[in-house]
Amino acid sequence: MLDLLEELEGGMSEGWEAASKDELQGAEQTRRAVSRFTRAMWLVVVLLMFFNSGQLVTYVNGFEVGPVQDTVVAMSKTWNEQMEKNGLHEPFLEVRDFMTRLQSMNWQEVGAGVEAAQRSEGAEMLRGMLYERKG
Amino acid sequence: MLFPTLEFGLFFLIVFTVSWALRWVPISRKFFLVAASYFFYGWWDWRFTGLLFFTTVVNYLTGLALGQSERQGLRKFIVGVSVAINLSVLGFFKYYGFFLTSLDELLTSVGLHRDLPFMEVILPVGISFFTFQGISYVVDVYRRQIAPERSLLDVMLFISFFPQLVAGPIVRAADFIPQLHKTPRLTREHLSVGVVLILTGLFKKMVIANYLATNLVDPVFFDPTAASGLDLLTGIYGYAVQIYCDFSGYSDIAIGVAALLGYRFLENFAQPYRASSLQDFWRRWHISLSTWLRDYLYIPLGGNRGSTGKTYRNLFLTMFLGGIWHGAAWTFVIWGTLHGAMLGLERFLRQTLHSFAPEETEAGGLLTFLGNGAQHIVGVIWTFHFVCFAWIFFRADSFMTAINYLQGLGDWSGPRQYATPFLVGLIVLTMFFQFTPRHLGRWVAQGVKLLPSPVLGLLLGGGLWLIWAMAPEGVAPFIYFQF
Repeated sequence: MLDLLEELEGGMSEGWEAASKDELQGAEQTRRAVSRFTRAMWLVVVLLMFFNSGQLVTYVNGFEVGPVQDTVVAMSKTWNEQMEKNGLHEPFLEVRDFMTRLQSMNWQEVGAGVEAAQRSEGAEMLRGMLYERKG
Repeated sequence: MLFPTLEFGLFFLIVFTVSWALRWVPISRKFFLVAASYFFYGWWDWRFTGLLFFTTVVNYLTGLALGQSERQGLRKFIVGVSVAINLSVLGFFKYYGFFLTSLDELLTSVGLHRDLPFMEVILPVGISFFTFQGISYVVDVYRRQIAPERSLLDVMLFISFFPQLVAGPIVRAADFIPQLHKTPRLTREHLSVGVVLILTGLFKKMVIANYLATNLVDPVFFDPTAASGLDLLTGIYGYAVQIYCDFSGYSDIAIGVAALLGYRFLENFAQPYRASSLQDFWRRWHISLSTWLRDYLYIPLGGNRGSTGKTYRNLFLTMFLGGIWHGAAWTFVIWGTLHGAMLGLERFLRQTLHSFAPEETEAGGLLTFLGNGAQHIVGVIWTFHFVCFAWIFFRADSFMTAINYLQGLGDWSGPRQYATPFLVGLIVLTMFFQFTPRHLGRWVAQGVKLLPSPVLGLLLGGGLWLIWAMAPEGVAPFIYFQF
């Protein structure tokens, strides 16, 4: 994958005139890429503020005691409560629950799942054959 | 400051924004990146920033002195002093306690017990990595492979650049310093490679490595006598996957973060568990360390230029010292010895077989094809299991724990506790990706390159959110921080 970056370096032309054009192009490319990623990063911040506000509270709880810190902690808690009230923390909890279920699954359950899948596959195949005969 | 934390996220947001805002004034940008790197390092313990600065200045002055002197004898003396200073610093912080404890045990065993000057020496994080980078710089200047760097700021940034500072990859001056002389550039390629590597690195570390560590590896290695043979076998496969995901995950994030700042690091892992020989494994695992050991230890020792016996000695010594580099413990010594001995044996067998049956230059028929395929598969299985066997010594906290672990592998009578479908699934998933096409990541990055910024933001934000939601609570430190 890192050869993608190499290709770019190897692709630069030589000679003073071409190099100058290349520099201008490079500067423009950089400007665009920086603003592109800056926009993307702010979107990431917004997404995480809304959907992962619990993490923010965990983080600010590690602050030392002080007037500014206490205000930040109080604001973060209020923000998190609001997000919870609006149900924005639910997708996070769903994923957590799913991971917990996966972790607690044992081999018998996996075996039963595989058997059930095989049975339904067999039934589907059988149904397919019947449909074919009907046709 | 660990990569998968909110504070690193904030830190990176500031560094990205300010460093690219300063791109028109390269000196200010470098100064800012050095300050950010020292801040990043000082987050653990600010006192060690002085040590980092000291070793940087020693290496910088050595480079200048080598540039001024023409006499070979003097050059050799200068580089010798510099390497000795670097190794003394590393030796004191890393091996002082180990050396005194071993000496104390030895003296006590022969009835000559003495009060030795024991001290509580704190190991500065990443010392092995920045020491090796410093040595590679002065040796490359000595060998005239690179010109001595006149700017202290560039040497400081080369040694302290925060993505690779604490756990590698070990960056070479010849690769990195020329990048500092160019105008920094950021392209769609940098962004896509950076985003793909950061997300895959975080997933490997936070989901795969952390689950395997907390639910499988740590319990079985804590007391191997309490686990069944099947659990111990799963435990060692689990550790092979955990250490790979932990360390290659860190490397991926480091390479990705550097790419977003406009710099290119070399690849550090290339699907190591698909290696069909131990030699092949070392070409794929921790590539920056194995190439460092080859260029600055194996070749100076004589490499394979001398007699056959000397080649085996050099191979063994290189791996042995590579083992000790990982830490001051007998378990690492055994790990290095095992790898060194097996590399030698493998070389001997390869040469012996080759003398009996030289390689055919013409394309063979179906039988040759099937024979080569079977040989490759056996090689992959054998190499993976040998590496797993050696990992037992690497992971065990003492030699006795490793012995108990090996003994326990023979007893399959106990109940199965840790080998759950979830953990086995994580192991199988990781092993599956060892055998996928090499350029899978490249293809994904080329797809990501085409995304508009809102979609890129959704991908990055959604990916981070999902990893955070899937990962177990808390952030475990990276394994390679202790080295």
